[in-house]
Amino acid sequence: MMDFLASPVMLAALLPAMLIAMISAAMSVMVVAHRLSFLTVGVSHATLAGLGLAVFFALPLLPTATMAAIAVALLLAAMPRRSGIGEDVGTGLLFAGAMALGVLLISSADKYDVDLFGMLFGNILTVSQDDIRWLWLTAAVVCIGMLFAARAWWMIAFDAATASAGGVPVRLYRGLLYTVVALTVIMCVKLAGIVLTTGLLVLPAACAWFWGRSPVVLWLLSSIFALAGTLAGLMISYHHDLPSGASVVITLCMIFALSWSVAWLKQRAL
Amino acid sequence: MSAPIVRLDHIRVGEDAAILEDIDLEVHAGHFLGIVGPNGAGKSTLLSVITGLISPSAGHIDLFGRCLGRLNRRRLLRQVGYLSQMHAHEDHLPLRVACVVRMGLAGYDAPLWRRTRDTDQIAEALEAVGMLKHAQTDFRLLSGGQKQRVRVARALVRRPKLLLLDEPSAAMDAPGQEKLYQLLRGLCEERGMSVIMVDHDVAAISAYVDSVACLNKRIHYHAIKGERIPDTIWKHMYGEHVHMVRHDSHCIGCGPEGKRA
Repeated sequence: MMDFLASPVMLAALLPAMLIAMISAAMSVMVVAHRLSFLTVGVSHATLAGLGLAVFFALPLLPTATMAAIAVALLLAAMPRRSGIGEDVGTGLLFAGAMALGVLLISSADKYDVDLFGMLFGNILTVSQDDIRWLWLTAAVVCIGMLFAARAWWMIAFDAATASAGGVPVRLYRGLLYTVVALTVIMCVKLAGIVLTTGLLVLPAACAWFWGRSPVVLWLLSSIFALAGTLAGLMISYHHDLPSGASVVITLCMIFALSWSVAWLKQRAL
Repeated sequence: MSAPIVRLDHIRVGEDAAILEDIDLEVHAGHFLGIVGPNGAGKSTLLSVITGLISPSAGHIDLFGRCLGRLNRRRLLRQVGYLSQMHAHEDHLPLRVACVVRMGLAGYDAPLWRRTRDTDQIAEALEAVGMLKHAQTDFRLLSGGQKQRVRVARALVRRPKLLLLDEPSAAMDAPGQEKLYQLLRGLCEERGMSVIMVDHDVAAISAYVDSVACLNKRIHYHAIKGERIPDTIWKHMYGEHVHMVRHDSHCIGCGPEGKRA
């Protein structure tokens, strides 16, 4: 533990990692409540299209990826209603299309200095000052969105028709939710990468689902699981020289397996 | 006389094949209206039109004396309690009964910095439907009938001026149904709340409602309390093969297998 804290690289990574864990934990409750797990897969992979655009047209990396993620999320929010096709089909379509566009644009670029492995699987150890500023800005926007809309999101998750009949502007709040999820995905890509981001946005709430029985408790438990999983994952990564993102996600998977087992044993004992 | 709580003027839903056509309806404060009709008659659609969930292709809706428009929709609907027939996602969320009812509070959707806890109102709504002792129970563990009572409590918790219920007695046992109708009757008389309730069992509701609208795309008959609905209306709504059965002074349409229509 002391080795880990004495390492300047790990110490620099710890604060942004904890910030990402807190935000992803809060949003993961909404992702699971609204059944948006597959959406996070689609949006995270769509960031590759943003990266491709940034590389091809020499645009700033994170802002371009963020815009691409938000655009895809809002398209997904509107697509099922407008086109009559299911949200899962829309997600699969945009996920594959954006991924293909990203690959084509990156491979067509003359030269690029993007850490593709880091983008795909995450690398919180190489976080720059610019990245940290971008993370704080994104975290602030996500927090404001949550403070403003969290209760309406719960109402819509439970019963969208009744919420709408009670005067809640469901379409507006759903668009806001998809935007905030897209912003959170961009944050998580830094820690877990495009491929593993869904783990950070699903697992903390999935662990909390066994124990929480109110929105506040679900958020608290999800945050505790996310912080514990991130800290333990980073320590495992440091001591065994493993990729940080994968270590965090596998730790969260282990917490989930433990939660599930204990809940199952508790249910059997009753 | 004060303006009606709900006024529907020549409402039509659907273009070529109309789901509802030429619906004229007025509901005043304290009135308890039952809506009956066969499956696919447009009963749920009518409630959706009143709540603005479905926009009519023609006609005009007034709520609380004001035209229901895009700008005032939110303000007007805060005074409306609604129980939908669809409950697709609610079993997915691990929430206590009290949390579920809290979501029905008017203004619950306000930002987190605004206080919305009102435990008295939640307890009152749960007490009214006989579910107070289950306030801390996981909603997913309740039976179908108990869940329906909690949904009714969620519609009641905001103390609405207008309550719209789409088959509220579904999955409830007979004593539970009777208690619910008594509760609604009491709310109309004591608080002046207006209730519009869709139900299939006209015999069960006729002792409690002030009037019954017979709907099948359009309102075929609007009977006031104690009035017998003519046999021809039942046959027109449910088809020529319906057998008529008398129950007390009321008329119930029955299908060939003897099922209540």
